[in-house]
Amino acid sequence: MKILLIEDEPELRKSIKEFLYQEGYVVESANDFAKASEKAGIYDYDCVLVDITLPKGNGLDIIRQLKKANSKAGIIIISAKNSVDDKIEGLDLGADDYLPKPFNLAELNARIKALFRRKNFDGNKAIVLNEISIIPEERKVTVKDQEVILTAKEYELLLYFVSNKNRVLSKNSIAEHLWGDDADQIDGHDFIYTHIKNLRKKLLEKGCADYLQTVYGIGYNFKVN
Amino acid sequence: MKLITKTILYYLLISLPLLVIALFLSYTLIRSEVRDGTDEGLWKEKEHAEKLISNGQNSCLNSNSLSGIAADSSGGKGYQFKDTTVFDKLEGEDINYRMLKSHYESKGKNYRIIVAKPTLEEDELLEGLYSSLLIILGFLLISFFSVNWILSKTLWKPFYKTINKLDNYDLKEHSLQNFENSGTTEFSRLSEALNKMTDKIYTDFVQQKEFTENASHEMQTPLAVMKAKIELLMQSPNLKEHDMDQLQGIDTSISKLASLNKALLLLAKIENNQFKDVSEVSLEQVVNKVLVNYEDLIQSKGITIHKEIKKDIKLKMNPGLCDILIINLIQNAIRHNQPGGKINIVLENAYFSISNTGAPLNIQPEELFVRFKKNEASKESLGLGLSIVKGITDTYGLSIRYDFENNVHTFTLSMN
Repeated sequence: MKILLIEDEPELRKSIKEFLYQEGYVVESANDFAKASEKAGIYDYDCVLVDITLPKGNGLDIIRQLKKANSKAGIIIISAKNSVDDKIEGLDLGADDYLPKPFNLAELNARIKALFRRKNFDGNKAIVLNEISIIPEERKVTVKDQEVILTAKEYELLLYFVSNKNRVLSKNSIAEHLWGDDADQIDGHDFIYTHIKNLRKKLLEKGCADYLQTVYGIGYNFKVN
Repeated sequence: MKLITKTILYYLLISLPLLVIALFLSYTLIRSEVRDGTDEGLWKEKEHAEKLISNGQNSCLNSNSLSGIAADSSGGKGYQFKDTTVFDKLEGEDINYRMLKSHYESKGKNYRIIVAKPTLEEDELLEGLYSSLLIILGFLLISFFSVNWILSKTLWKPFYKTINKLDNYDLKEHSLQNFENSGTTEFSRLSEALNKMTDKIYTDFVQQKEFTENASHEMQTPLAVMKAKIELLMQSPNLKEHDMDQLQGIDTSISKLASLNKALLLLAKIENNQFKDVSEVSLEQVVNKVLVNYEDLIQSKGITIHKEIKKDIKLKMNPGLCDILIINLIQNAIRHNQPGGKINIVLENAYFSISNTGAPLNIQPEELFVRFKKNEASKESLGLGLSIVKGITDTYGLSIRYDFENNVHTFTLSMN
């Protein structure tokens, strides 16, 4: 999978790049409009991550350029502006997702994976991880072919863990994924714990291995070898 | 007191003593002139009488009863003018006379000559003066009023216009573009000064608003960098428990800073009127949607919800802002609730109210909607939720009220 990262802030570019490498993607990056436009014009990407405010140009124009060239790349806007107008315009132009800064890298990862699933690049509708299999279209989860009935939040939690398997996920990141903008309103993370406890219990009941590990002080790690 | 009334009062205050002085002066001046005339006439009559006496004719003098020539034995000398009053039987009233008594010696005989003239003219003169001054006063009053009225209608017109404009001035809209430039120097200067002042205030206001928004925007990227770095650092296999604790602390603070920044940015955007799309929003739907989203939170606190919701109540506003409004009110009711507490939601035609059980506030109720003012008990709270609520209700001219009774906090949103 080949990703083009268009971001002018060097440190953020570096971190996102490092993270995406860890996830096994091929990443190219551009730090201004001209370079981004050039790369988007020459190479084919599976996904383009584009910042809207760029030196010497607007990220929305890159989206226009890609769409004009009938690019099949998935497009995710990453923007510091978090403005409704930009979001609507970007999505209208054909962007697939909009992620306001600051975001968790795990969240970006989950969005990229969801995007690839939607675009059906794998040609595979189910996410299979050892004995667990998830069919996102039906929001259905099975363990060893037995269906696991999960609440909406538990399902999202599992999908987030599976997307970010073998990574340490902080409680903040989990809370922000589950409750989005309202995560900051949630006092303490006690009831993330409740959700995780319930999810683990339901998975174990169907004979699933205990993948969910608590990382002291920080959060959790869905460890799959 | 109106400017007109004041001006007229001042004019009157000044003109009344002036009129009295004028009355007094003209009276004395005219009277002395008239008296001189009378005295001169009397003097001539006296000389005429003396001539008569010298010629030996002393019988016929003037017709009136006071005048006369008589032999005098008192041996008086000189003359004397005198005012006197005689009762007139025919007229039935006192009549003022001016008389001249003089002594005259002719051919060894002493005479006393008295000549007198009625001074009716003098009284009439005074009366005439009085009435003419009264008429003048009347004219003055009428002209004061009319001149002032005309002045205020014409000369002061730009001034009143300016006041009206100032009255209706709304900083947010910067509604008056220009104070009119009238032909009057003072008013033109006033308009100029006001134009300058309001422009300056408006520019400052806009800059202030933009500053908050820009500052929040600028902070997003460094926050994103910090967040990303921490997340990458967390993946390191060599971290000890102590390091993890530190990382968790930093991560939580960054998240808090990010939410704070997001909330401030939202407030700035609300105040900058950046949520322009308006549509009919069904409050019932919004409330239910939010309650579903917080279901687990509500359950985990053991809170029971009671709803009395009238269907089909719609509010004309930005859908996003309506969500934020209801989210903030419901969150508030959950956060400040006690474990096992209650939330009561009522939606009627005219109002939406949400009440929750909970300990009394330890801040003043009027401070609830002020930024960063929060109950000491709620450390996790940013102290911006209710400011956002207030910002939204202000935008749409709705009013929000807080009440506390029997350990129940109630927020009521009036929708009229």
